[in-house]
Amino acid sequence: MNACIEVKDLTKSFNGRVVVDGITFHVEEGEVFGLLGHNGAGKSTTIDLLLGLKKPDCGTGTIFGLDPRTNRKAIFERVGVQLQSSNYQNNIRVDELCKEMSALYKKPEDYHRLLQFFSLEKFEKSQVNKLSGGERQRLSVALALINKPEIVFLDELTTGLDTAARREVWRHLKELKKKGTTIFLTTHYMEEAESLCDRIVLIKDGSKVTEGTVKNVIENSPYENLEEAYLWYMGEEVTQ
Amino acid sequence: MKRFLKLYMIEQKLALRSSDMLTFGVAMPVGVLILINMIAGSKQAGAGFTYLDSSFASLIAVGICASAFMGIPLTIADYRDKKILKHFFTTPCSPMWILGSDMLCCGVTALLSAVSVAFVSVVFLGYKMQGNVLAFMGSWLLTLVSMFSIGLLMASLCRTVKSVNAVTTLVYFPMLFLSGATIPYELFPSGLQKATGVLPLTQGIKLMKAVSMGAEIENVWKIVMLLVGITLICTVVSVKTFRWE
Ligand SMILES: Nc1ncnc2c1ncn2[C@@H]1O[C@H](COP(=O)(O)OP(=O)(O)OP(=O)(O)O)[C@@H](O)[C@H]1O
Ligand SMILES: [Mg+2]
Repeated sequence: MNACIEVKDLTKSFNGRVVVDGITFHVEEGEVFGLLGHNGAGKSTTIDLLLGLKKPDCGTGTIFGLDPRTNRKAIFERVGVQLQSSNYQNNIRVDELCKEMSALYKKPEDYHRLLQFFSLEKFEKSQVNKLSGGERQRLSVALALINKPEIVFLDELTTGLDTAARREVWRHLKELKKKGTTIFLTTHYMEEAESLCDRIVLIKDGSKVTEGTVKNVIENSPYENLEEAYLWYMGEEVTQ
Repeated sequence: MKRFLKLYMIEQKLALRSSDMLTFGVAMPVGVLILINMIAGSKQAGAGFTYLDSSFASLIAVGICASAFMGIPLTIADYRDKKILKHFFTTPCSPMWILGSDMLCCGVTALLSAVSVAFVSVVFLGYKMQGNVLAFMGSWLLTLVSMFSIGLLMASLCRTVKSVNAVTTLVYFPMLFLSGATIPYELFPSGLQKATGVLPLTQGIKLMKAVSMGAEIENVWKIVMLLVGITLICTVVSVKTFRWE
């Protein structure tokens, strides 16, 4: 297996407060990788640094061996991104949004097929604002896939969804994985990480706590499931 | 280029769909034009010109005022807040595309407004410009560009949607009412005329008015220099301070 994302000693502070503290990890081609941690642990900031949206204080993040700050065009033809809690223009319709996003890439996917894949074809002419939370999240994933990416970043994709809607998104992500797409996700649901991720990294206050396959991570703790193991790694009381 | 046009077309569609800009930028100046004409259209406002002659240029400027001081800053702040600008950094396209297409949309609104006012004036009210039409278009374009640079500066300096809203209200309404865009400048007492002379739009309107009435005013070039200066300074400052998120 080849590493398609490599992060080395990534560090960033805001106003003198260290938010990402010397994080090192890699992501292999074709795997589902999960970055887990509490609110404010630095997950989104790590993604921003890795995508070149923010400049690291020190350390490097590379995608396909390239620095995203200097190879933006080449990288983002092949990478799809869903930023945390992003929004869309007022009054925009689903098909217009798809067309707008398609226009940004050289060889976009036919968006009708994507909408169908995510069971959204009946909303083609609806306003994005009027979609339900789950429908909008599915649309977000669809949009992140519009350039047929080899890697897709999904930041807290299922936050705010009910159990059924979340499982629906999982099903789509699993199909995506079967096609060989590498998925980089963050989540607050341990169940989700357990069901989707091949490997996970746990971070706390910007530092890496542990990493490995879900099975490894559980085995190296005194607990039986990821939720309890996670709390144990984070140094919280585990109440049975 | 083709892809940029596609993006622009969608943004333009959205701009037309939200009726705010059409109301403030197009319907309002046309309404005021008709009103002024009903009240005082053919009356002499001064030696050899009517109220219509004198208010034509200022009403043409209302569209510039609306798109520069409302359209540009509000759209940019909204897109920044929604992370739409940030999202463009995660695509192979330059984020300038989205800024560029929205500026273009605002320009089109201003143009639409100018064309509507001109159409109604010429076709229904029998307006005929005394000055040179091409020179007038030039003065319109210069006013447009310089006011847009101020709008861009507003969007750069204000970090939140709330502050943009506040600044927009603080800039748009005084410019609209005090610059002579809606209420003829000549009606102001001379003290107020002096005071409102500092508003950049006042200068733009003075220029357009002078050109449209074919008047030889000695400080046309001074105003042109001033507007060019405003454009340069505002553009440089806003590029330096612009925040994508
Ligand atoms: N631009 C910024 N300026 C100052 N502080 C920031 C900035 N961006 C993030 N932070 C701070 O950095 C810390 C990490 O933020 P980040 O968004 O990476 O957390 P997160 O792990 O994604 O959290 P969540 O699970 O809530 O999304 C937070 O304490 C946040 O307040
Ligand atoms: Mg986050």
